[in-house]
Amino acid sequence: MNIWEIAAEVMIFALAPLAWTTMRGDARHRLVSFLMAGVAVTLLLMLLTMAFNRMPMMDVAIALALMSFGGGIVFARFFERHLP
Amino acid sequence: MKTIVIEALIASAVVITLASVLGMLRMKDPFQRMHYISPPASVSALLITIAIFLQQGLKPESFKAAFITLVLIGMNTVVTHAVARAFRIAETKNWRPKPGEEVPVDRLDEPVERKEAA
Repeated sequence: MNIWEIAAEVMIFALAPLAWTTMRGDARHRLVSFLMAGVAVTLLLMLLTMAFNRMPMMDVAIALALMSFGGGIVFARFFERHLP
Repeated sequence: MKTIVIEALIASAVVITLASVLGMLRMKDPFQRMHYISPPASVSALLITIAIFLQQGLKPESFKAAFITLVLIGMNTVVTHAVARAFRIAETKNWRPKPGEEVPVDRLDEPVERKEAA
């Protein structure tokens, strides 16, 4: 087990509280946790790419980073217009 | 030596991410929580990218990691501002501060008059 695998496994533990706070509580807290989870999963995918030595998986991390950006903007606009 | 540097970079990135997640959980206000997205999006991503460059050299995956870091840094600034603005509008129906708040509202639409230094 190399350092990349260990780092990826430790990073997974960061996702557990984020998943918990994304599913419960105020909508504003859930949205912030969702944004943080997007960043954490992107970093996790980078680590997993290096851990398994599957370099095309880096494209998945790129796609997630770009889609997190779009998703965050869309959620922000929705929140601004439709939620109290 | 290079292996030690790579391990130190990755360990720092993971510790920063974990500390940011735990710090975010301790905050009660969503505006305070948003500040904790910045360290993983900027510092951790940069450290991981440097580690990938050290291990892989000038390979396409290294430049992909650098691109991800640029996207995360840019995304974090734009999305955090957009979400904070949305929260503000959802709360007060207006982006601008109310009278009596910290920033006086009657000065915002006026051109700022700079006092000349004596």
